[in-house]
Amino acid sequence: MNIVVAMKQIPDLQQIRIRNRQPVLDNVPLTMGDIDKNALEAGVNLRDEHGGKVIVLSAGNEDVEDTVKEALAAGADEAFLVIDDSLDGAESGTIANVLATSVKQIEEPSLILFGEGSGDNYSGQVGSRVAEILNLPQVSFASSIEIKENQAVVTRVLEDGDEIVQVDLPAVVSVLANINEPRIPSVTQILKAGRKPMEVLELGELKVDAGKDLVITESNLAPETERKKVVVKSVDELIQALTTEGYVGR
Amino acid sequence: MDFNLSKEQLLIQRMARDFAEKYIEPVAEQIDQENKIPEDILKGLAELDLFGIPFPEEYGGADGGYDGYVLAMEQIGKVSGGIAMTLSAHSLALSALSVFGTEEQKQKYMVPGCKGTDILSFAFTEPATGSDPKQITTTAVKDGDHYIINGTKRFISNANWPGAMILFATDDESGRPSGFIVDKNCEGYSISEPWDKMGMHGGMLLDVYMKDVKVPAKNLLAGPGMGYPILQLGISYGKVGVSSTALGGMVAAFEEGLKYAKEKMHRDKPISRFQSIQLKIADMAIKCEAARWLTYRLGYLANDVKDPRQFAKEAALTKTFVCETAVEVTRLAMDIHGSYGLMNDYKVSRMWRDVIIGPQIEGVADMQKMIVAGLTLAD
Ligand SMILES: Cc1cc2nc3c(=O)[nH]c(=O)nc-3n(C[C@H](O)[C@H](O)[C@H](O)COP(=O)(O)OP(=O)(O)OC[C@H]3O[C@@H](n4cnc5c(N)ncnc54)[C@H](O)[C@@H]3O)c2cc1C
Repeated sequence: MNIVVAMKQIPDLQQIRIRNRQPVLDNVPLTMGDIDKNALEAGVNLRDEHGGKVIVLSAGNEDVEDTVKEALAAGADEAFLVIDDSLDGAESGTIANVLATSVKQIEEPSLILFGEGSGDNYSGQVGSRVAEILNLPQVSFASSIEIKENQAVVTRVLEDGDEIVQVDLPAVVSVLANINEPRIPSVTQILKAGRKPMEVLELGELKVDAGKDLVITESNLAPETERKKVVVKSVDELIQALTTEGYVGR
Repeated sequence: MDFNLSKEQLLIQRMARDFAEKYIEPVAEQIDQENKIPEDILKGLAELDLFGIPFPEEYGGADGGYDGYVLAMEQIGKVSGGIAMTLSAHSLALSALSVFGTEEQKQKYMVPGCKGTDILSFAFTEPATGSDPKQITTTAVKDGDHYIINGTKRFISNANWPGAMILFATDDESGRPSGFIVDKNCEGYSISEPWDKMGMHGGMLLDVYMKDVKVPAKNLLAGPGMGYPILQLGISYGKVGVSSTALGGMVAAFEEGLKYAKEKMHRDKPISRFQSIQLKIADMAIKCEAARWLTYRLGYLANDVKDPRQFAKEAALTKTFVCETAVEVTRLAMDIHGSYGLMNDYKVSRMWRDVIIGPQIEGVADMQKMIVAGLTLAD
C-alpha cells in the first residue's frame, strides 16, 4: 500500500520576529509544518502495519530539497518534489493543481494524507481541492485512520460529536494535530535522510498550469464603521433612547 | 568561512532540543532531587543514538561527528547537567577506545556503549591526585596472560553502570601508567555509595575499589606504558563534552535571567528598563555567543585531529574559557534574580550548582592554563 503525504515548507514559526507589527521573514529557517508531521506520522504507522511505501510530496522553491529531509528522517521512504520559485507562497488552487498532477505520476497511491491546514496560513483548502481534481473521496478532521482491506475507517472529530466514516481507497484524508505524537528522529535517521530516493521535477516538466492568481489578504479585520453615539445619564433615559431608536417597545 | 549549520546539523540540534524539552524538562527537578535518571529517559537517549553520536557506524555509533555531538550535548546540558555529565564521561571513554582500541576491543566494548546498553567510565583520579599521572598508585602486575590490578579510584563517573571502564594503573613491566579495559561487572570490582556532590545530580560519581581484579592481557589499551598519551588525547576529547555541557548550562541561565528581567516589576515597569540590568543582559549575551562559537569550533576540530598536541591546546583553552564563562553568566543571571535566585524554588539556583562544577573536572582550570601556556611557549 503506497501512501502519499503532502508536506508544505513553511518558515519556522518559533523563529519569526515581529517588527513594526509585521513578521520579519528574512533569514528565517524553513521547516516542515507541524500538522504535516502528524500526517506523516499517521502514514508511517500505517505503512509499518500494512507494508508499502510512504512517499512525501511537496511543491515549493528549491529549498524544499533540504526541508524534505525532515520528513525522510521521520520515516518517509521517498520524496517527490516539484520545484519552482513561483510555488513559494502560491495560492491553494495552484498548489492543489501541482500536487494532483504529481499524485498521478506516483505508483498506485492508496491514501493521500494532508494536515488539516498548513502551519502558516491554515486555509485548509489544498486537501479538498486535490480530492476534487482527482475525483477521489475525501475525509477531513481525522483523529484516527484504520485500514480494513480496501477501505479506510476514519474517525472525524466534529463540533457536536465524532463521526466514523468508511471510505473506499484510494482516498484523500486530512488529519488533525491530535491524531498522534510525531516521532523524534534519531541521529542515524537524520543522517540517512539525504540518501533516500528523491524525484525532483521542475514545474515545467510537470505540464500543469500553475497560474498566477495570488491573493494577498492584507487584513482580516472587519471594516471600521462610524457608530452613532448616544450618551445617557440614567436607566430611564436609556429606555427612552432605545425606544426612540426602535430597539424596545416595538 | 561559513557559520551556517547544515540541514542535518540543524536537525540533530532540534532532535536533542525536542527530546530535552518534551521529556527531560518535566523530570529535571525530580532528577535533581533524587539524583537518579529515570529508566525511560535513558532508553529515549539510546533510541535517538545520543550514546554514540560521533562514533563510526561499524562500532554501533551514528557517524554524526563531534560537531553533531556538540550541538546535541548543548541542548541536553540546557535542561539537565547530570544527564549531560553522564553522556560526556561515557563518550570520553568511547573516544579513547575509538582512537587506541584494536578492532576486537572496539567490537566488544564500543558497540554496546554506542547503543546505550552499556554506560562507560574513564578512571584516572585517585584519592591523592586528579592532575598528576606520575602520582597514581593503582598497580597492574603481569601474571601470564593476565594482569592483576589493585588500587582505588576516586570520583569516577558512571562507575555504577555496566560496561567497560578505561582504567589507568602503573604496570610493573614499563613502570609507567598504562590504560586497561576493565569490565565493571568483574570479580574484585566494587564501588562506594555515590558521592553527594552539590550539582549535576543524576550524574553518578563513585569511588571504585579494585582487589586482585584479573584483566586479560589483551585488554591492555595501546601497549604498555601508553597511559599518558591515552589520557592526554582521551581527556582532550572529553573536554568537547564538558564544554558543550557548560555551554548548555550558561545558555539556560541566560534565558532564565532574561525572562526574570522582563517579568519582575518595579513601579509597574519591568526591571529590564534599568541600565544596570541591561548591562548584565549585554554581558550574558556577549559571553554566551563567544562560548558558543569556541565550543562549536572545538567540535569541528575534534572531527579530524591531526596533531594531538595542538588539539590538546585547543581543547584546554576552550574548556577553560567556556566552563569559567558559564559560571560568570550564571552568576549574572542569579544577580538579576536578587534573593530569589538563591532559593531552591528558582531554577537558576540549580543551574548554579551545575555550572560551578565545570571548572574543576576533566582537568582543573589552572592545569588547563598550564597546558595552554606550555604549548604556546613551545610553538
Ligand atoms: C562531577 C565530577 C565528575 C568526575 N568524573 C571523573 C571521571 O569520570 N574520571 C576521573 O578520573 N575523574 C573524575 N573526576 C575527578 C576530577 O577530574 C578531578 O577531581 C580533577 O581532575 C581534579 O583533581 P583533584 O580534585 O584531585 O585535584 P588536585 O589534582 O589535587 O588539584 C588540587 C589543586 O592543586 C592544583 N594543582 C595540582 N597539581 C598542580 C601542579 N602540578 N601545579 C600547579 N597546581 C597544581 C590544581 O590546579 C588544583 O587547584 C570527576 C570530578 C567531578 C566533580
